[in-house]
Amino acid sequence: MIVTIDGKEVSCERGEYLLDIATRAGIRIASLCHHEGLQGQGCCRLCTVEVETGRGDTGRGEGAQSGSFSDKKPRREIVAACIYPVEAECVVYTDSERVRRNRGILLALLRASAPASEEIAELCREFGAPDGARYEVQSGDGKCILCGLCAKACQTLGTGAISSVGRGTAKKISTPYDEPATVCVGCGSCAAVCPTGAIEVAEDGDERTIWNKTLTLTRCSRCGAVTGTAFEHYRASVHAGTEPPDLCPDCRRKAMTDTMAKTFGV
Amino acid sequence: MRIIAGEEINALLNTYPRNAMYTLAVMQDMQRQFGYVPREGLDALSGHLERPLSELYAIATFYKALSLTPRGKHIIKVCDGTVCHIRAGTNVLDGIYRALGIGPGEMTDDGEFSLELVNCLGACALAPVMVVDGTYYGKIAPESLHEVFDAIRAEGVID
Repeated sequence: MIVTIDGKEVSCERGEYLLDIATRAGIRIASLCHHEGLQGQGCCRLCTVEVETGRGDTGRGEGAQSGSFSDKKPRREIVAACIYPVEAECVVYTDSERVRRNRGILLALLRASAPASEEIAELCREFGAPDGARYEVQSGDGKCILCGLCAKACQTLGTGAISSVGRGTAKKISTPYDEPATVCVGCGSCAAVCPTGAIEVAEDGDERTIWNKTLTLTRCSRCGAVTGTAFEHYRASVHAGTEPPDLCPDCRRKAMTDTMAKTFGV
Repeated sequence: MRIIAGEEINALLNTYPRNAMYTLAVMQDMQRQFGYVPREGLDALSGHLERPLSELYAIATFYKALSLTPRGKHIIKVCDGTVCHIRAGTNVLDGIYRALGIGPGEMTDDGEFSLELVNCLGACALAPVMVVDGTYYGKIAPESLHEVFDAIRAEGVID
């Protein structure tokens, strides 16, 4: 199947998401809450694009009424590219007048709710965002846009230590009862996927502090790079029976190559 | 405040299969039985369903029908909808504060009354209106509140 994105023809499979197709073709679409490993968030809406379907070249044999397709007007609609599966051949505009206007408003509103985020400020500069009283930047040091990617990452990769708490304007991401979560292993997945840098992780010597919890770091015995936290390895050993890693991925690869070289006498 | 025994919670949990679809039903039962969703209850439910505590906490904080802090025997709901607001619903709040010494979201020390501020009770003709344990009290004169609460106290729980 072929979709045309900004005049460029790109081949894809039926059901693939538009954002993934565009990314593969090297076409940049702004996005915040999208992460390739955690699909289906679709809440920041920044990847808004215009899709034109029903141009008549996807006929499904209404042969008797010839010309019925040309009578049908093509449909143009605004969709979120990250959760729009391509079902039929279509033409996509990522920078039409309508897209620019919608995306600008979204950016301005996100900037107002998370004024301290440099990532959002950068996107505003890159894609353009309107100014004005309606979008007046609220005071405060908010960075979180409540996309929920961190909670999803924690449930998928970690231990489900964080979730959204409360609702409406009081909604936030936190641990149960706002206390240091007993189950948090300090893997830092939440901070790594956060698109706006809202989750604070502090590393000081052999300690990592995250969600008000301080954990001991483990290091590679060869190069000293951080390999995780002691609690993380402990839990992995209890639940999956894995041994705590002695080497970091780089050193492990190097050790493997050395062994191979020695074996084959290179 | 009543201390909730682990057996009570376990007995409640065991009436439900270990399936995530019963999460909300269990929480509603806790709310009914204990007057709130206790922390011990959420911990036990987390173990029962093998779901993270954070997920249950998210649900418990989302629904207004669930409370994480103890609520009194009698729930007073004071309307702060448009009409009640204009008809001086805030005077009712002041009256309740004088009568019981509690504000919205608080409970009296004896555990008898809890006060909630709600948006619209759908009885605008009776404004300003309050509901105690499902009984509507319309066109409230703040000075009469003392008598209303004394009567409710004397009657006990209306279920």
